Amino acid sequence: MPHVMLFAFDLERGLPAQQGLSAAEWIRGVGITAALVAILTLLLVELLYRHRLRRETYNWLLLLGLLVLPAIALMSTATTVFEETKTVGSCASCHVMDPFVNDMKNPTSASLAARHYRNKWIADHQCYSCHTTYGAHGTLAAKRDGFRHWLLYVTETWTEPIQYSGTYPNSNCLACHANTRKFAAVRSHGVLAPDLASDRVSCVTCHGPPHPVPSERQSPRANR
Amino acid sequence: MGGVEAEERYEVNHQQYQHGLTRRELLRWMATSAGVVCVGPLSGCSSLWERQPVIPVEAWHKGVCRFCGTGCGIQIGVRGGRVVDVKGDEYAHNKGRLCIKGVLNRDILYTQDRALHPLIRRDGELQQATWDEAMTLIARRFREAIDRFGPHSVAFYGSGQLFTQESYTANKLFKAGIGTNNVEGNPRLCMASAAAGYVSVFGMDEPLGCYEDIDAADCFFVTGSNMAECHPVLWERILDRKRSQPGTFIIVVDPRRTMTARHADLHLDILPGTDVALFNAMIYEFILQGFVDTDMVEHYLTFREGTRTRTYADLRRHVAQYTPERVADICGVSARQISEAAFRFASSKATMSLWTMGLNQQSQGTAANRLVMALHLLTGQIGQPGATPFSLTGQPNAGGGVRDTGALAHALPNGRIVTSPKDRHEMEDLWGVPRGRISAKPGYHAVALFEAMERGDVKCCLVMCTNPAQSLPNVERHRRAMRKAFLVVADAFHPTETTQLADVVLPAALWTEKEGVFSQSERRYHLVPKLVDPPGEARSDLKILVEMADRLGYGALISARNPREVWEEWRQISAHSKYDFSGITYVRLQKERGLLWPCPSEDHPGTCRRYVPGEDPLARGKGRFDFYGRPNGRVVIWLHEQEQPKDPTTDAFPLVLTTGRVLEHWHTMTITGRLEALTGIHPNFLEIHPQDAALLGIKEGEEVVVRSRRGQADFIARLTDTIRPGLVFATFHSARHLVNRATNDVYDPFSKQPEYKLCAVLIDRKR
Repeated sequence: MPHVMLFAFDLERGLPAQQGLSAAEWIRGVGITAALVAILTLLLVELLYRHRLRRETYNWLLLLGLLVLPAIALMSTATTVFEETKTVGSCASCHVMDPFVNDMKNPTSASLAARHYRNKWIADHQCYSCHTTYGAHGTLAAKRDGFRHWLLYVTETWTEPIQYSGTYPNSNCLACHANTRKFAAVRSHGVLAPDLASDRVSCVTCHGPPHPVPSERQSPRANR
Repeated sequence: MGGVEAEERYEVNHQQYQHGLTRRELLRWMATSAGVVCVGPLSGCSSLWERQPVIPVEAWHKGVCRFCGTGCGIQIGVRGGRVVDVKGDEYAHNKGRLCIKGVLNRDILYTQDRALHPLIRRDGELQQATWDEAMTLIARRFREAIDRFGPHSVAFYGSGQLFTQESYTANKLFKAGIGTNNVEGNPRLCMASAAAGYVSVFGMDEPLGCYEDIDAADCFFVTGSNMAECHPVLWERILDRKRSQPGTFIIVVDPRRTMTARHADLHLDILPGTDVALFNAMIYEFILQGFVDTDMVEHYLTFREGTRTRTYADLRRHVAQYTPERVADICGVSARQISEAAFRFASSKATMSLWTMGLNQQSQGTAANRLVMALHLLTGQIGQPGATPFSLTGQPNAGGGVRDTGALAHALPNGRIVTSPKDRHEMEDLWGVPRGRISAKPGYHAVALFEAMERGDVKCCLVMCTNPAQSLPNVERHRRAMRKAFLVVADAFHPTETTQLADVVLPAALWTEKEGVFSQSERRYHLVPKLVDPPGEARSDLKILVEMADRLGYGALISARNPREVWEEWRQISAHSKYDFSGITYVRLQKERGLLWPCPSEDHPGTCRRYVPGEDPLARGKGRFDFYGRPNGRVVIWLHEQEQPKDPTTDAFPLVLTTGRVLEHWHTMTITGRLEALTGIHPNFLEIHPQDAALLGIKEGEEVVVRSRRGQADFIARLTDTIRPGLVFATFHSARHLVNRATNDVYDPFSKQPEYKLCAVLIDRKR
């Protein structure tokens, strides 16, 4: 799973260098190629070679151009969209997120998000990394949240100030921090371990705020 | 194909497949199963659409943390008449942050040992009684004592954890009703030196600045405070400042390399009780390095030594003997560190000092407080954003509840004192009692009160919301005194060290089981709402005081009988003083996240920086400052000499003992000691340097006995190089490992605050 790999970099040596094409880029390339090949095939088959081809070959090529290649292109598109929505840019495309993204990129902000961003504690996809819980269900929940946010945004039915729904899962923090010496050295972490594991006590209660609090951010509606 | 034939074929097909699934059905089931597998773990239908809270809550209410003087705003989640969850309030000054104690507020009401019924000591045993029996007995014993031995034979010993309304009512009942100034409380053990410092320098109590100053300071001078453990949320705010502005410089003065000191850019691990010498040396450096603000000296300062008036030239002569080189020997740090601290303090754009018990709990506590204020006044590091001296309070309501209401033996509300006829008459008029009702004789301060009980001069004492049988220094002596007097203890918990000595125990409501106003370190008054019912027969302390007033015949005087009425009365009284918060109405308290006084009108937003014209509504003129607490507008720089230790080390007692706290526990652990989550945190240790341990043959984890000239206590040795050789440290949390058997009850001559921070001890392996 790509977001698991995301945390696998060696802190001592810094971030891993990008080597070759990523899976997402490769799939995107395949999709574009499939779409182009499909168009070209259909054009050639219909306009140039229709009468020169055997009926059987003609049918196979139509199947390829109309079904198989478009299916590959569609899969590629879906994958690309899934990958693309992990980026900070994708989150920032809704103005509701402006105060959060601006704060994250503010070099003098003390919020958790800003510190993780500027210190490169998270290599890439900084929003998505913290807002997606591990596992298939985590991904599903994140995509669902994203869809819900998008729906609220386009229908202009969200309420200001926006709030995090439900309980933030500590596993997102603990995935990196739990096995560190520094974490283990804090007595409070030890006695609160059951509460931290069950999310009854949130990491950000003591270590937050993760983002600017409502009084520090301006509603994007005010700008319009 | 005819219709009949088709029907027959359908029948055949149907019969053929009726024992299994059709292909279509199979596919449908597979798709549904796949869907269920995907969404199944997201239990509950609502979670299909959005994330759900782990702890379901019916309603959230804004409130305030029960613990320290940071006074964090919290949101309290209630379900089924119980507090079930607590989270930081994003709209409060703490921006949603809480420490471990703050989070555990949600459990404090439901721990074991809650006091449920009144208890009366019969045949040496505390036995269950009715409220009527208990209150009748209390009224009879207090009335007998007052009639036979005079009003000064009874006393009240309160707490910085009572609500403002409760401390105010107790003060009024005893001073304007019974006619004694024997109204004391645990703030004497905690904040008295800071209060004495502010009053003697600025003419008025309480800090000048506010928490917002943290966000603007470039240098922090943290002296005698382990903020990272004792005020963790404020400490995070300091770290936030450093995270935002990495050039921010943090100086920590503490004999131990505490969690706080580990983050310092400069740590001065001075010997306990040598603060006066250090601060004098810093003043010496200010003068030498040319950092003294001449405008301040010319227009805003005056100089004094004891009762004598002094000049700036006298100050220069006075500090001439406190060269860093000489003071380095006294304090046990290098001269270069002292010069560096002085340079950083004075040269930064804005320096904020923060301190608490490390300065206050010394026999030179007031002197140390005055000198920290002098550091700011002499360098002009004051009155600008980020530039201020700022004392931290240890309890949630020591400032507003006790210092501002004047619920101490020498004091009257809003900075008035009992020895001033004018102040007494003002309060007599405001309270509507005849002139002469308030005694001109100051009551007994904390240590003296228990000494008076020992002598038999004080016959009856009502102790509320505090645990002096554990928290007083040289505690065994004072326990004997408590056994001797008729002791009434109102507490939310039983047993405590103090309730065990009581003649009557009254079960008290805790935190959100009652309503009231707290005030924290930055002068913010804020409301704790009543959300749930107290357990058993427990009642609010206010209700207990009101009933006591009725039974003693002062019901007419105590006419405000619920939290709202008392607040309204108290708010209006404040308008007759320079501690004016008459604009903080009950409705505003209910609506807003508290307000900082002065706040003289209902549309005033509250004041961050006092004495600064333009910011402080009571400050007049256009100058840099209007020190309106002082008759001539000039604040006082006090000249103090470093004194010798009151309990010096000798061959018999070669080590110095100092005391403190840990992050997870609070005070005498009456509350935190009963929280299940904290059972794994044992404050049973004595920190000792490995070098001392080696000389004494003590090993890690070994049982040791600390002996002082007064008493002894057992601990488990914890070897650590975070403490200086020659120094040992224990917390005052544990009743079983009770450091206050050894501590010294000598006190500061001005503030009467006892010296918990140093005494000479001998360490032995337990045999």
